[in-house]
Amino acid sequence: MKESERIDIKPLARVEGNGGIKVEISDNRITNVEVQILEGPRLFETLVIGKTPEENLSLVPRICAICNLSHKYASLRALEKALDLEIPEATDAFRHLMHHGEIIESHSLHIYFLALPDFFGYDNAVEMAKEHGDLVTGALQMKAFGNKIMKLIGGRMIHGENPILGGFGRLPQREVLLSIQSEARELLGFAMNTVDTLEGLEIQEHMERDTQFLCCKPPHDGYDYYGDELITSDGKEHPAKDYKNVIQERVVSHSFAKRSTYNGRPFSVGALARVLLLGNRLKGEARKAYEKLYNERWHRNPLYNNHAQAIEQVFSLEGVIETVNQLLDMESPEIAEPRRSSGIGTGAVEAPRGTLIHHYEIKNGRTAYADYVTPTAMFLDDIEAFIRESGENLLSSRTTDNIELQFEMIARAYDPCISCSAHLVTVEYK
Amino acid sequence: MSERKKKTSAKPRLGVYGFTGCAGDQLLILHTEDQILNLFEAADIRSFVMASSNPVEENLDVAFVEGSISTEEEEEHIKEIRQRAQIVVALGNCAVSGGPQAMFARDGSFAKRLKDVYGDVEFITDPVEATPIDQVITVDYYLPGCPISQQQTMALIARLIHGAEPEDFLHPVCHECKLNENKCLLLEKKFCLGAVTAGGCGSACPNLGLPCVGCWGPNRDGNFEEQFRLLESFGISFEDVMQRVRNYGGHKILDYIGEIKSTNG
Repeated sequence: MKESERIDIKPLARVEGNGGIKVEISDNRITNVEVQILEGPRLFETLVIGKTPEENLSLVPRICAICNLSHKYASLRALEKALDLEIPEATDAFRHLMHHGEIIESHSLHIYFLALPDFFGYDNAVEMAKEHGDLVTGALQMKAFGNKIMKLIGGRMIHGENPILGGFGRLPQREVLLSIQSEARELLGFAMNTVDTLEGLEIQEHMERDTQFLCCKPPHDGYDYYGDELITSDGKEHPAKDYKNVIQERVVSHSFAKRSTYNGRPFSVGALARVLLLGNRLKGEARKAYEKLYNERWHRNPLYNNHAQAIEQVFSLEGVIETVNQLLDMESPEIAEPRRSSGIGTGAVEAPRGTLIHHYEIKNGRTAYADYVTPTAMFLDDIEAFIRESGENLLSSRTTDNIELQFEMIARAYDPCISCSAHLVTVEYK
Repeated sequence: MSERKKKTSAKPRLGVYGFTGCAGDQLLILHTEDQILNLFEAADIRSFVMASSNPVEENLDVAFVEGSISTEEEEEHIKEIRQRAQIVVALGNCAVSGGPQAMFARDGSFAKRLKDVYGDVEFITDPVEATPIDQVITVDYYLPGCPISQQQTMALIARLIHGAEPEDFLHPVCHECKLNENKCLLLEKKFCLGAVTAGGCGSACPNLGLPCVGCWGPNRDGNFEEQFRLLESFGISFEDVMQRVRNYGGHKILDYIGEIKSTNG
């Protein structure tokens, strides 16, 4: 490697959206690392001003296709608080089922199609299929299953209108729920095989460093993907509605996404954060998967986000089975009505990539203010910090072959959703 | 007996690109699990960055482009793609019409909204008001949708791969709604845009008893004036109808609603 050099990975492949990585090197030291967001701003928080809650719910999935239901879910939670709306238990259960579907869709897309090709030495999963045919066939089935649930409860795989304020447009019949449950059982075997596959991978250590983690605290004793409290790896808990005091955001010139810190330092959200903070709540096969895969290095190495996603894939398959059992015992829910037309609400969910927060101020049935804080915008600083650490170590040990791939694998492990992060930037002048 | 000559031709070179959007149309292609392996077999996919690393950026037979043009860099990039692609297909609402980010198209507020939001921060590339790709380059075929339909998309790709002309889909959502034997939501005075919205989604939302929000953009034959008057007769204000059709109407809707005024003068 030359003394003074610039590495430009542009575009960054096998991530959602348009991004790149720029690393500058001088005198064999890393002088600058930028994860560049190249997509343009769409200004979603300005698009919803003056809109009805129904229009918000239609628009927000368009922030990102892979986690489109997470955006709708976060908006539902925020709007239902703002409008003082209490949903029946069965509606809540259907939303959990819907969310498990999205976790399965998104994690399977990421693990098999976006991440694993690097570990096996391929450019893409289709080429990987030649030597790993069973893996890719199973992967397609798993992803198709996640999509099936999203279509069934969401209305379409991508940007469905079915989840509405207070309930759903149309809900599946008993026979369909039973067939979904049956398919989840069939896929558990492949999900556990995936756990074994990941266990066998060699995980590089050149980027390892301490960092912080954050996720939603479920409002019960189990593992889950939502909550009104945020927990952090320093042992603290914060109400989600105080998110602006917890997560400090700032603008940077090399991306149309804000950057975030907690206590002045970068942090991570996502499957790895969730398993580290909530993993001891896991049960069943997911618990076995956790005990098989978890090790000390998880606290310092983002590549284990892939492993954490594999555990969550198992958890969500079991979650589908369990939630269907609950639903079979419940009456079909009515649509709940709002009790007021003005109010403020914050909704936090765990999108596949991490904590997602939607916040609204509704005045007389119209949106006066909206704020969306996406997981990718939260962890971009941490990606840069890990890439910097990796670069420093690889340079000083002079093992710089394929250094770009090492940086890419770090960024990919986070499963970044660049469209989510580029939705808006706000500048506040004090 | 004549010998049948085996037809040999190189696999068509395809590229799939994403500009500013949610990546839903590219994702939809990747989510067509029963066809994705066939697609990679039948065509030589030279660049599809969302799915594959090490793209090769050379001459292409067909370039599929998702997303609106929202930065100066994207403007340069789409022109570059046009130069080396025989055929360019606009994929999805953002590329066809500008997407939800273009809902305030041409109303003169972009510069102000940008300044309100960003202030005077300098970015690595300047943002521009979101436009569909045909404001920058010529487009050969349009696949509307938010997202696109698997059926329509695979049909178009198959036609192009075999050197045939893709088929246009002229019907509004209403047409598909009737084929699905849905009860018409307009009869229930619901705020449904199906009559003036491009079909192809299979009336996905009315199938659930929910009104069409117009996310595929305008249908060419739509009687917009009549649709406005009908919705206003339900007690919906002119401003609310205008707002609703513009949510996903982008630039294209302006060709259809430009002349429509409120009945209140």
